[in-house]
Amino acid sequence: MNALVSNVLTQVSITLIAVSGIYVLTGLTGMFSLGQAAFMAIGSYVSGLLVIRAHVPFVLAALLAVAGATLIGYVIGYPVVRLRRDYISLVTLGFGEAIAALLNRMTTLTGGASGLTGIPRLVGLPLAFISAVLAIALAAFFKTSKYGRQCIALKGDELAAKAMGINVTRVKMIAFLLSVALTSYSGVLYAFYMSYVDPTGFGWKKSADWVIMVFFGGVNSLTGSTLGAFILSALPQVLRGLQNYRYVIYAVLVLLILNFKPSGLLGEWELTPRNIQQAFAKLGKKNTAKKEG
Amino acid sequence: MSLQVIINGIATGSIYALIATGFALIFNVLKFSNFSHGATMTAAAFIAYFLVSSKGMGLLPTLLIAALAGALISLFGEFVGFRRILKNHSAPTYFFVSSITLGTLYEGLVTIKAGSNFFNFPSFFKTPTVNVAALVVSTGDLMMFGISAVALIVLAYVIQKTRLGRALRAVSFDRDTAQLMGIDSTRIIQLAFVISGILAGIAGVFLGIKYTLYPTLGSLVVKGFIASVIGGLGSLTGAVIGALLLGILETILLAALGSGYSTIAVFAVMLVFLLIRPQGIAGSNVQEKA
Repeated sequence: MNALVSNVLTQVSITLIAVSGIYVLTGLTGMFSLGQAAFMAIGSYVSGLLVIRAHVPFVLAALLAVAGATLIGYVIGYPVVRLRRDYISLVTLGFGEAIAALLNRMTTLTGGASGLTGIPRLVGLPLAFISAVLAIALAAFFKTSKYGRQCIALKGDELAAKAMGINVTRVKMIAFLLSVALTSYSGVLYAFYMSYVDPTGFGWKKSADWVIMVFFGGVNSLTGSTLGAFILSALPQVLRGLQNYRYVIYAVLVLLILNFKPSGLLGEWELTPRNIQQAFAKLGKKNTAKKEG
Repeated sequence: MSLQVIINGIATGSIYALIATGFALIFNVLKFSNFSHGATMTAAAFIAYFLVSSKGMGLLPTLLIAALAGALISLFGEFVGFRRILKNHSAPTYFFVSSITLGTLYEGLVTIKAGSNFFNFPSFFKTPTVNVAALVVSTGDLMMFGISAVALIVLAYVIQKTRLGRALRAVSFDRDTAQLMGIDSTRIIQLAFVISGILAGIAGVFLGIKYTLYPTLGSLVVKGFIASVIGGLGSLTGAVIGALLLGILETILLAALGSGYSTIAVFAVMLVFLLIRPQGIAGSNVQEKA
């Protein structure tokens, strides 16, 4: 495989892991985190530092980084999941900015603005790709589980969900933590693929990007979210010359979708064996109709 | 802790107050957090910079153009980003995503024009500082405080005492009923966006003077958000109180801890605050209706 293609696919796979987390949070539960990229930063920095400074083996470092990020997520989430869903966006946004400031400031440990260098390059396309598939499978499993259905219920109407006996606070927390764990894991892969991380890449812009991807493909469909993430994260790699215009093109596309097809590219359609069969059946009917007509 | 620190804190807080009220106004009317507010500030400040200050004109024309630009951008946002969603009765989350997207759009446009360079407003004041008794106050800070105070007092007057203000409050309270009473709610929502845009424009110029002008300046809007969370989401008075408190707190922490750790400390204070008094200082608890 050509090196450029493999690079694009690896980066897209890493993004897909983060976006599967966003799908659980935003698509299923209706919460928006604008500090999600900060959890990616935590995953990157913690695992990177553990390996470089403390010579911890990679797998253990990855586990510790994900566990640490999830713990921080619990502290952030604790006051927030009890409140109106607006608060989680505002608080995570503040959190993201605070983490960025901290990473810039702790120069001796993190390398400050010039970044953390010398992370061994241990991750390649196979690991990234398999991880992405597993992450999406996990999100799909979560969606069909009891918790997933409770998430969808509380997204529609929190008060009604509460009245039906769903522990809204707990379900929101579980969804938030699952998404934090996935995002921080994508951060680990990112650090050990790029072998260099710096604080600028983890601003709220990145978190917003992920949310936009989910909405682009279809906020109610995991297949749609994955497709959206795939298209929008591969696009700028393909259109390298248009780097400056990339955000403008993004924004215009998404505004069009929001205004004219609010459910996203795929709406609620999911890639399940039954739906594929139906799609083929429809296609077959059309073809036979054409032949007859 | 000296009086000096508190004075500096109030000066910073008055800018945050402009941001927080502009944000709270939209929250009041449409019940969503407008994340394009920051990019509106940046875009308006940049327009004012390129049209006016870079040609050597003074502070007042700059502020006027920024306010006008802010109002127009905000009005454009209402039309492109929110009108159709409101008409479709889409879920509130769509407003939210739309506002983030608008923010991305504005910021992208600014970046195309300005690159990622830093720009400095010319120094508008001949004497940089004024001595009041034993205190040294920078003329810029004094000016910003004065203008912010005047803007907020005018806003309070408009909202509390005029017919338009009453209509605005009615629409915020219950849009459908207000509409039945003969209030043109689309016009009133536009009005809210215009006012919010004016405040954003002025705040953008102030931030540009205080720091420098750069395309991601809008991320300072976070301070406005934190202020309105502390004050109580959707309350204008709360936003102003929260902003002043935040300004003072931040200046104290900055002096004590330095820039990186004070950001973390401010964030921790907000978390604790949410834990103890989630409805904010003003106590207006906005619940999602069934």
